[in-house]
Parts: sequence; structure tokens; C-alpha cells
Amino acid sequence: MTEFEPTILAFCCNWCSYAGADLAGVSRLQMPPNVHIVRVMCSASVKPEYAIKAISQGIDGVLVLGCHIGDCHYMTGNHRTAKRFPVVQKLLEDVGIDKTRLRLDWVSAAEGEKFQKVVTEFVEDVKRLGPNPLKEVRF
Amino acid sequence: MLPELAFDKLGADLLLAMCEGHGNVGPIVISKGEKMAKVRTDVPYQLVTILTNIYPFIGQKKLALLCRRCDEKALAELEKRGLVDEKRVLRIGLACSADQIKACRCSDPVPSVVHIGAPGKPAGEDELMNKLLAMPSEERLKFWTAQFRKCNKCFACTLNCPVCFCDDCVLEERTFVAEKGIPPGMSFHLIRTFHLSDKCVECGECERSCPAGIPLLTLRKMAAKDMKALYGFVSGDKKKVSPLLTTLEGEPMEDECHEC
Repeated sequence: MTEFEPTILAFCCNWCSYAGADLAGVSRLQMPPNVHIVRVMCSASVKPEYAIKAISQGIDGVLVLGCHIGDCHYMTGNHRTAKRFPVVQKLLEDVGIDKTRLRLDWVSAAEGEKFQKVVTEFVEDVKRLGPNPLKEVRF
Repeated sequence: MLPELAFDKLGADLLLAMCEGHGNVGPIVISKGEKMAKVRTDVPYQLVTILTNIYPFIGQKKLALLCRRCDEKALAELEKRGLVDEKRVLRIGLACSADQIKACRCSDPVPSVVHIGAPGKPAGEDELMNKLLAMPSEERLKFWTAQFRKCNKCFACTLNCPVCFCDDCVLEERTFVAEKGIPPGMSFHLIRTFHLSDKCVECGECERSCPAGIPLLTLRKMAAKDMKALYGFVSGDKKKVSPLLTTLEGEPMEDECHEC
């Protein structure tokens, strides 16, 4: 039997995390290939609804990456993100979905190695959790 | 007794209350001097929902509202967002009966001024919530998926909600909730809970109006508990801005964007 390979959706902000991901690629850092990156202008433009919808449709993990606090291109964008996503994590916990399926982290444009670390760690975490239980649930 | 209180003592022009009429009970607006139907105070209904609908049409008139504690909190949330002028809505405090408090598992039942009824004792914690939180997460998920499967997307919870006031409802966006497909799935309820997390007053109207009997109030109470634990936020408080939208510490609130 083959090992479970999670499908992971990553939202990367255009100014820091996407450039960080780019740097990781250019530096040829090895990463698990489970991550599908969506490029957004700011981590605050990732509505929590997107993460909720992805998880309820069976995505195994959602990764939201933004600039470090204080470095946001739009001044306060990532402050908002930092306040919204913990609430979503708690709500997921309340209905019985593990909150580690949603992770919020900060990666700057110079941190290719951190991007690699975050992705590798997250894929490991989600592998340990197993497939998203909602994938099997038919409403 | 109620008309004198509203029109003479408080100086209102209109009164909104639950009244008997046509063999049923419903929200009725009475103007000053009009003959009044029998007012019922034992019927739980969020009159603030009606208020937000008629508010644009009452002009500069003052409206007296039969107001429970949850109505008061909902009004505070509306005022915070600049949707209702505090001076034009006069409150007639209504204390809930013990049965009503029990049905809502209400922890804060007494309005700031009581005109009608005797103040009741707050009920204890939500038993179902504690039972669910003590369960392992797989069983909790099983419980909620079984409940959400009953949903037939009738939008009764949204229509009767006193704090649902967005012009474009996110649940009507096809990106998040598919046009076809009943039941709508997990995301419908989670998105709604997230949207209400910074304003839900725990009135229980969603649970009362749900034809499928989903324990929505328990879900709201869970979210309220989380908001309290994370940001110390309790809806209906004096803070001028939602904790989910706040700016940097110490920055003026006028810089806040209320669009997103």
C-alpha cells in the first residue's frame, strides 16, 4: 500500500512569501511536491471563507503565508490575518476537525530556507493526521 | 400601561412590540394615539430584526422597542457599525421569564433597565456544548455532520438573525455556497458561524426558527467562547471596533477600513 500523500493548498502573499517560494525554487531546495501554491496580493486578501471551503471540500491542509508582522506591503494586512485565522482554527476544532490542518506562518522574500522548512513540517504534520475526514463525508 | 410608558413617559412616536392579531402573534408597529392590540411579552422574537428593516422608513420619528437583554446587545452592535441612531430608538426593558432563560441557556438575561417582568437568574452553561467538547474530535465531527445533513438551506437562520445586516450576504455568493445542492454541506454553517463570531448576541433565534432543529445556538455559543478566550471580546460591549478588524495597537480607529 502506498503512503498517504496529502493535498495541500498554500496561499502565498505576492510581496514576501511568493518571492520566498521563488527563492527556494531558484536555490534548488528539496521540498515535498504536495503543495499547490495560490498567489494572492496580501495574506489579508485570503478570506477565511476560502480556507473553510477548501477544508470542507476535502483538502487535507491549508497553509497561509504572509510577510512578517510589521513588514506588510499594505501596512496592516497581516495584522488582520493574524487575528482572523486563530478564530477559524478554533471553529474547526469545535466541529471536530484538527486545527493543525490550517496553518498560518510568516515567510519573507529572503527566507527560501524557511519556506522549505515550513512546507516540509506542514506536510509531515498533515501526513501524521491522515486524510481529511470530510473527504469521505457525503452531504 | 405599555402605551403610556412608551408614548407619554419615554416620548416615543412609534411602538414596536409583539401583539395579537388575526388569530396569531406577530410584530406590530403602533403609532401614537392608535388603538392598541393585546401585547404579548411571553413570545420570544428578536424585534431588532424588524427594526433594521423598517428603520429607513420611519424618518425622524422616535421608536420605542420592547427590548430583552439580547435585543439590547444587538442594538449595541448595530450602533457600533453606525446603522442605528441610539437617540431614535427608545428601549422598554423586558426581563425574560425563567422558562425562556432556560430555553436559551442564557448567561446574561437582565436588561440594563427593567420595565416589565421580574429579573431572572442566569442559566448555567450549555450542557450540549460541554458534552460535545468533552468528546473526542471524531465523534464531535460525526455529531455535527449528522446535524448539518438535516439542513435544507432555507435561510431562516439568516433572515431572522438580528445581527445579519450585510447588503450582500456571503452565503449567497456562489463561490462559497453552490447554487444547487441540498444540504449545503459543512462550509455553509462554518462560514456563517465565522461571520457572526464578532457580533452574535446568542439570542437563539436561529435555533428557534430552524425547521430542521439543528442546535445552532450551541454552535454560536462555542464561537462566542472562542472569541472570549482569544480576544476577550463579548458582543454588545462598548468597544467601537470588532477585534477581527482592528488596526495596530495605539493607532486611531478612524484609519480602520470597514469594507473588509
